[in-house]
Amino acid sequence: MKFMMLIFKNLRRNLVRSMLTSAGVMVLVFVITLIWSILGFLDMATSEKSANFKGIVTEKWSIPSQLPFSYANTLENGAAREESDVKPMDSMTWQFFIGSVDKTNIGFSTFIFAFCMEPKKLLTMMDELDSLQPGPKAELDKAIKAMEANRQGIIVGQKRLAAIEKKVGDRIKVFGINYRDLELECEIVGTFPPGRYDNNTCINRDYLNASLDAYKASKGKPHPLAEKTLNLVWVKVPTKDSFTKMSGQIDNSPMFAAPPVKIETASSGVSNFLAAYKDLLMILRYLLAPAIIITLTVVISNAISISVRERRKEMAVLKVIGFQPNQIIFLVLGEAILLGVVAGAISSIGTYYFVNRVIGGIPFQIAFFSSFPVLDGALWWGAAIGFITSFAGSILPALSTRSIKVVDVFSKVA
Amino acid sequence: MVDAVPQQRVQSQLPNRIVDGILAIMKVLGIMLLFILVTALVITFFLYFVTLDNAWLLIPASFSFFGLMLLIVYFAKIPIGYNLRNLTVRYRTTLLTSVAFILVTGVLTGLMGFINGLKRLAQATGNPANVIVLSQGSTEEAVSNLAFESMGDIAQQEGVERRNDEPLCSRESYLVLSLPIAEPVPGSPTRRLLQVRGLFDPVASAQVHDFDLLPGGEWFSAAGVRPDADPNKPPLVEVVLGQGIARQLAGDRSAAARAQARNPEQLEVGDTIPLDTRELVVTGIMKTEGTTFDSEVWSKQSVIGPLLGKSNYTTLVLRATDAQQAQKLEDFFMGKDKDFKYEKTQVNAFTETNYYKSQSQTSVQLLIGTILVATVMGFGGVMGVMNTMFAAISQRVKDIGMLRLLGFSRWRILVSFLTESLLIALLGGLIGCVLGYMCNGLQATSIIGGGAGPGGKAVVFRVVVDWGVLGIGLTLSMLMGFVGGLIPALSAMRFKPLEALRG
Repeated sequence: MKFMMLIFKNLRRNLVRSMLTSAGVMVLVFVITLIWSILGFLDMATSEKSANFKGIVTEKWSIPSQLPFSYANTLENGAAREESDVKPMDSMTWQFFIGSVDKTNIGFSTFIFAFCMEPKKLLTMMDELDSLQPGPKAELDKAIKAMEANRQGIIVGQKRLAAIEKKVGDRIKVFGINYRDLELECEIVGTFPPGRYDNNTCINRDYLNASLDAYKASKGKPHPLAEKTLNLVWVKVPTKDSFTKMSGQIDNSPMFAAPPVKIETASSGVSNFLAAYKDLLMILRYLLAPAIIITLTVVISNAISISVRERRKEMAVLKVIGFQPNQIIFLVLGEAILLGVVAGAISSIGTYYFVNRVIGGIPFQIAFFSSFPVLDGALWWGAAIGFITSFAGSILPALSTRSIKVVDVFSKVA
Repeated sequence: MVDAVPQQRVQSQLPNRIVDGILAIMKVLGIMLLFILVTALVITFFLYFVTLDNAWLLIPASFSFFGLMLLIVYFAKIPIGYNLRNLTVRYRTTLLTSVAFILVTGVLTGLMGFINGLKRLAQATGNPANVIVLSQGSTEEAVSNLAFESMGDIAQQEGVERRNDEPLCSRESYLVLSLPIAEPVPGSPTRRLLQVRGLFDPVASAQVHDFDLLPGGEWFSAAGVRPDADPNKPPLVEVVLGQGIARQLAGDRSAAARAQARNPEQLEVGDTIPLDTRELVVTGIMKTEGTTFDSEVWSKQSVIGPLLGKSNYTTLVLRATDAQQAQKLEDFFMGKDKDFKYEKTQVNAFTETNYYKSQSQTSVQLLIGTILVATVMGFGGVMGVMNTMFAAISQRVKDIGMLRLLGFSRWRILVSFLTESLLIALLGGLIGCVLGYMCNGLQATSIIGGGAGPGGKAVVFRVVVDWGVLGIGLTLSMLMGFVGGLIPALSAMRFKPLEALRG
C-alpha cells in the first residue's frame, strides 16, 4: 500500500507532465478504439457463424442483382421440392427502392434508400433488430403493426428523418430514381432504433408491387423494371450442412434459368462486397493502428525517460535507505502503468458511452454500412492498450535505474 | 501538543496541494484549448486556401519560416550552438521525440497520397467537351436506365460534334459482374466485382473517351464474338480491358494457369477469362492508366447485355464541339434555362468533368477521416515535444538565469527554445516525408462514388505522394513543433534571472 502511495505521490509531483502524458494517451486510445471498432464490426460481418446460418440468394452474375419477383416464393422455401429437402427456418425478400423526396433536387438532404420487404421480418431476420432490448423492440413492433395495417406506412432511420426534415406522422412522396416514373406516397409510422439503420428506410413490399401494377394499368405497359424487382432473398438455416444442402437445391433447380441465381453465406457476400475496400482496410489495420500504438509508446517512453533522468538523485537516496534495484524498477514501471491504464481506460470507456449513447455510432460509410457501433471490447481495450504501451515505453527507462550508482550521483552533488 | 505541529503542517499543505492540482489541470486545459484553437485555425486555413494542387507552396513556406527563425537567431546573437548541443547531448530524448514526428508525418503523407491518388484519378477521367446523359434523377450509372428510343434524338441535338455526318456519341450500358476467383486465398473474397461496359460501337466510344489500344490489340468486331477453336463450344465473347484490371485479373488466375501464361503479371491479347459456360477473350488492352476506365472491361452490348440480363442502356456520352458547348448542353438537358430546354424527355446530364468531380465524394469522406487522425496523432506528437521541452527547460533553469543576466532579453530566450523544438520537428518531418514518399506509385483499390447511399465504382489507381502531399506533411510537422515548443518556451522566458539562478 505504501508502495502504491509512493507511486501516486510521484505522479502528482509533476502534475503537468502526468496530465500531458495522460491527455496524449487518451486521444490516441480514442482513435484506436474507433479504428478497432470499425475493423471488428467488419470482421464479425465477414466471419462465418457456427449456427443460424444466413444465406443470400442473388443473381449469379450481375450486380445489382435484379431477379423477377416470381422467384420469391420458391426461393423463400429454399427451392425445396421433395419432403426430404431442407427448408429455411425463416426468410425475407429485399427489393431496393432508391428515391428522393424532392424530384429536382437530389442530394443528401432528400435521398431515400429503402428496403421493400415484409414488415414482420424486420424483427426476425434483420441483423441487430432481431436481438433488440424489450423497450426498443416494443417501439419497433408498434411501427411494424402500423405498416401492416397501412401498407403505405414506412419506417425511417432517425438520421435520415432528420436529414429530410420530417417527423413521425408526416406524409412524404418518394420519387423513384431506380424505378423511373414511379412515385410512392408514404406515411412515416416509426423510426428504427439508433445505430445501424439510421440512414435506411423500410417500405412494405406489397405497396411497391401494387404501385408497379398500377403503373402497368395506367401506362398500358409494364414498368421497364417490372421483371427485375427482386434484389435479394435471405434464408436462415440451422447449420452449415443444411446450408450446403440448400445450396445444392437452389443450384440444381430448373426454376432459375434466366437469370440464373447463386446462394452464398451472408459473411461471404459481405466479404466479396468489401473486396474493393481491401486496401483502405489494410491501411487502417496494418499502418494506422500500429503507428498510433508506436506513437503512444514513444510519448510514454519519452515522459518516463525524462522523469527517471530528473530523479537520479532521489533514486540514489532510495537505494541508500534500503530500496532494492528491483523495487525501484517496479516503482518506475508502476508509475507508467498506472498512468497508461487509467488514462486508456477512461478514454475507451468514455468513447464507448459517448459514441454509442450520444452520437449513435461512428459515422463512416463503407459499402452499405453507414455507421459503426463502438464494440463491447472497448470497455477493456483502453486499459489493455494503456498497460502494454506504458510497459513497453517504460521498461528501458526503468531498467536504466539499475545503473544509478549512489557514489557517482553524490560525488557530483558534492 | 507534540502531535499538533505535524497535524497543522498537513492541514496547511492540503489547500496548497489542491491549489497546485487545480493550477496543473488549468494549465493542461489551457494547452488543450490552445491546441484546439490552433487546429481549428489550421483546418480553416487548409479548407479555404490549400488544395492538393497548391499545397506544394507549403514546402518553401515551411523552410522560409524556419529560415526566418534562424535569421532571428543570427541577428539576435542567440547562441544556437547551445541549443544544438542540448539536442545532441540528450540524443535519446531528441530521437524519441523525433520518432513521434516521423510516424505522424509518415502516416499522414501515406494517407494523403492515397486520397491524392483517388482525386487525381477522378480529375484525370473525363473530357471537358463530353457530356454524360443518365436517366432522370440518376447520379450514378449503376442505377440509370435510359430509354433506347430517346437516345437517338438526344444525340442529334445542336452542339454535338459530328463525324461522317453522324453525331459523335457513345451508347453504353454499365454493369457490374460478380466473377469467381479461381483459387481464392482462405479468408479473402471468393469473387471479384468486375465493371463491364457494354458498348454499341467500340470505335465511336474510343473516340469519345480518347482511348487507344496498346500495340498488338484490336477493338472487338461488329459481332462482338469469335468462334472458339473447339467447334463444339459456344463462341468466345470479345472484350478489351483497362491496363489496371488486366493486371488484377492476371492475379486471379489459378497457380497452374499463371505458370503457363505468356505474361503472369498481366492478361495479354488472346488470353481468356472463364464466365460460367462462356469464355471472354481479350482482343486488346486500352491505354487507360490514371483514369477510372483503367478498372473496366469493354464489350459489345448486344452480346454481353443479354448474357448478363441487362438489355437496356444506362449512359449516353456526347462529344460536344468544345467545352463551352458541353456546358451549354448540360444546361439545356437539365432545363436550367426556362426558355431553352430539352422537353421531349427528362434526363440528368453533366459535363464529364463535373460528373467525375461529383464522384470524388468518397475522397472527401476519407479526407475528413484523415484530418481527424492527423489531428489526434498530432496531439500525441505535441504532447511528446511539450514534455521534452518542459524537461529541457526545467534542467536548464540556471542556464536561462545566466543568459538573462548576460543581457539576453525575454524574446531571445523564447526564440532560442522555439528554434530547438522546430529543429526536432524539421528533422522528424523530413524523415517522415521520405517514409511517406516510399508509398508513391503503389497500386491500390478503392471505391469512388457520389456519397449518397451505397454504391460507387471500384477503381484501381496509384498512390500519388507529390510535392503537395509532402508540403502538407512537412507543414503539419512544423506546426506540431511550433505548438509543442511555444508553451514551454513562453514559460522559459518568464523566469526571473535571480530566482532562476537560485534554482
